[in-house]
Amino acid sequence: MDTLVTITVVSASESKADKSIDDAFAAIEKLEKLLNFYFAESEISLINRNAGLSGVKVSSDVLRLIDKALYVSEKTQGSFDVTIGPLTSMYNFHKHIRPDDGKIREKLSLINYRDLLTDNAKSTVYLKRKGMLIDPGGITKGYAADRAVETLKKQGIHAGIVAIAGDIKVFGLKPDGKPWKIGIRNPDAKDDKDDVMATVELTDMAISTSGDYERYFISNGEKFHHLLDPKTGYPAGGCRSVTVIAKEGVFADAFATGIFILGPEKGMTVFNETGFSGMMIDSRGTTHITPDLRGKIEFQKNPS
Amino acid sequence: MSFRKILLKTTGADRILFLLLLSVSLAGIFFIKDIIPQSRSVLVEVNGKPVYILPIDKNRTLSVEGPAGNTIIEIKDRKVRITDSPCINKLCVKQGWITGGSIVCLPNRVVVTVGDKDRQKDGPDAITG
Amino acid sequence: MQLRDKYRIALLSAFAIGIHGIESLLPSPIPWMRLGLANVITVIALLLYGFRTAMLVTLVRVIISSLLTGTFPGPAFILSLGGGVLSTMSMGVIVLLAPRLFSAVGLSIIGAFMHNMTQLILAYFLIIQRIEAVLLIAPVITLAGTLTGALNGLVSETVIRNLKKDIIEKNN
Repeated sequence: MDTLVTITVVSASESKADKSIDDAFAAIEKLEKLLNFYFAESEISLINRNAGLSGVKVSSDVLRLIDKALYVSEKTQGSFDVTIGPLTSMYNFHKHIRPDDGKIREKLSLINYRDLLTDNAKSTVYLKRKGMLIDPGGITKGYAADRAVETLKKQGIHAGIVAIAGDIKVFGLKPDGKPWKIGIRNPDAKDDKDDVMATVELTDMAISTSGDYERYFISNGEKFHHLLDPKTGYPAGGCRSVTVIAKEGVFADAFATGIFILGPEKGMTVFNETGFSGMMIDSRGTTHITPDLRGKIEFQKNPS
Repeated sequence: MSFRKILLKTTGADRILFLLLLSVSLAGIFFIKDIIPQSRSVLVEVNGKPVYILPIDKNRTLSVEGPAGNTIIEIKDRKVRITDSPCINKLCVKQGWITGGSIVCLPNRVVVTVGDKDRQKDGPDAITG
Repeated sequence: MQLRDKYRIALLSAFAIGIHGIESLLPSPIPWMRLGLANVITVIALLLYGFRTAMLVTLVRVIISSLLTGTFPGPAFILSLGGGVLSTMSMGVIVLLAPRLFSAVGLSIIGAFMHNMTQLILAYFLIIQRIEAVLLIAPVITLAGTLTGALNGLVSETVIRNLKKDIIEKNN
C-alpha cells in the first residue's frame, strides 16, 4: 500500500499485545495481496484482466469491499467510482505524468460503476466491458483498518488504534479512560508546527480525510492532485479537504473521497443523507462542519 | 607511618561510610538499567517519507530499499547501526552504533533516527489527512 | 592574614596545581575520570591549617588551573569550581561539627562524593539535559569517587601523620 501503518494497542500483557499486533499486520498484508491494483496476482487484477470476458470468483473480503464500494457510488451519484482504473493508470504521481486531454476523453466512457456486477450467491465479480479496470485505491485502506481492528478484537484486545496513513480506526478508551484524540491535518500546513488544525475525540469510530495536498504535482502551472473526478477525468476542484467520521473505516475512506469529488454543496448533502459526521474545507477556504460535530471538534486556530 | 598502619587507624565511621557508598553505588549500577524511562523508537525514512517505526528494545535486522539499492539496518542491544548500504564511501556504515541522533545515507536517501516515543502530552494520538 | 598563612596558601596551591597538571597529562581509559590527587592537598590543608586556608587553596587551584588550560570562563571551569567549592565546604562542615568522627579517609570520601554530585547536577543543567544519561552514570561515578576518595584519604592521612611525626621529632 506504499504507506505507513501504525498499530497501537492497550493491553495488560506485552506478549498478548505483540501477538495481536503481528496478527493485525498479517491481516493487512493479506488484504494487500488481494486488493492491490499494481500487483499482477491480486484478485483485483484478475477481475481486470477478465473485463468483458467473464466473472471471476473472489474471496469474501473482495466481494464485500466491492459491494460497499458500489453503495458509496450510489450515494455519491457516481463521484466515487472504483471503476476509475483506466483514468488513474494514466496518471503517475511519482513521475509527475499526466495524460493529455484526448486520452482522457477516450477513457472516460469506460468508467461506470453500473457496469460492475457482483453475484453474491456465486461470489463472483464481473466487469461488463472490455478495457474497464477497477482501482480500489480510494477504499482499501479504510477497509483494511476495519479488518485489522477486527483481528485485534478477536485476540481479546479492548482498546487501540489502527492507522493506515490517514485512514484511522479507533476502539475502546486510552489507559487514562479518555477517548482517542485524532488530529486533522491542515491543508495549508507549511511546517510541522502548523500540521494539525483541529482535533476530535473518538472511540469506536473510523475517520478518514481526503485532501488535495496528499499527493500532487504541478504541470504547466496547474495543480494535479490524486482525487480525480470520474466524470471529467481531471482532479476535482471544489474542496481542499474532506474528513468523514463513520462506524466503518471502509465508508469513512470511500465517502471522504466521494464527497470531496462531489464538491461543497452536493457533498454536504451526502453527510445529511448518510448520517455520518464530518468536516469539509472548500476551495475558498471556508470550513463546513456537520451539526453534530459542533462543539466536539477542537480547532487549534479559528476556522474561517 | 606505613600505609598499612594508617589503614588500621581509620575510624569506624570511615569504614561504615566507605562500605555504605560502595554498596549503594554497586546496587545502583545494577538497578539503574531498569529504572530509566525506556521506550525509544527507531524511525527509518526513505526519501523523506517514514517507512518503519520500530521499538529499540527488540533486536532485529531489516533491509530498506532506496533509489540506489538496499540499505541494511541492524537494531541490537538498544543500539542501531547501518550494516551495509549501496553508497560509495560508506560513511553511514562507518558511523557505527548509535543510541541517539541519526545516521544518514545520502546517496540512498535513507535516514535512521533514534528518538523519544514520548511526544508532547497534548499531542494527538494519530493524525488524519 | 599573616604572612606565614599567605606563604602556606601559596605553597599548597602550587603543589595542588602541579599535581593536578601532571595528573591530567597521564593517560586514562575514561577521559574525565581522574584520581583527584590534588584533593590530597585540600584535605591536608583543612586538617592542618583550617577551613579558610583549605578553601583559598581550592579557589586558587581551580582558577589558576583553569587559566593555564585555557578553559577559564567556560563550563569546564564552572564544573570545576562548583565541585571544588562544595567539596571543600562539606568537608569543612563535617570537621566543624564532628571533628573526631572521620579520619582523612572518611573526609576525603565525603569530599569526593560532594564533588561528583555537584558536577553531575551542574552538568545536567548546563550541558546534558537528558536525565537518563545522568542517572545512568551517577552510580558509576559514585563508585569511582568512593574508591579514589578512600585512596586519596589514605595518602592524606599518611602525609599528615608523617608530617606530625617530623614536627614532633623536630621539636624534641
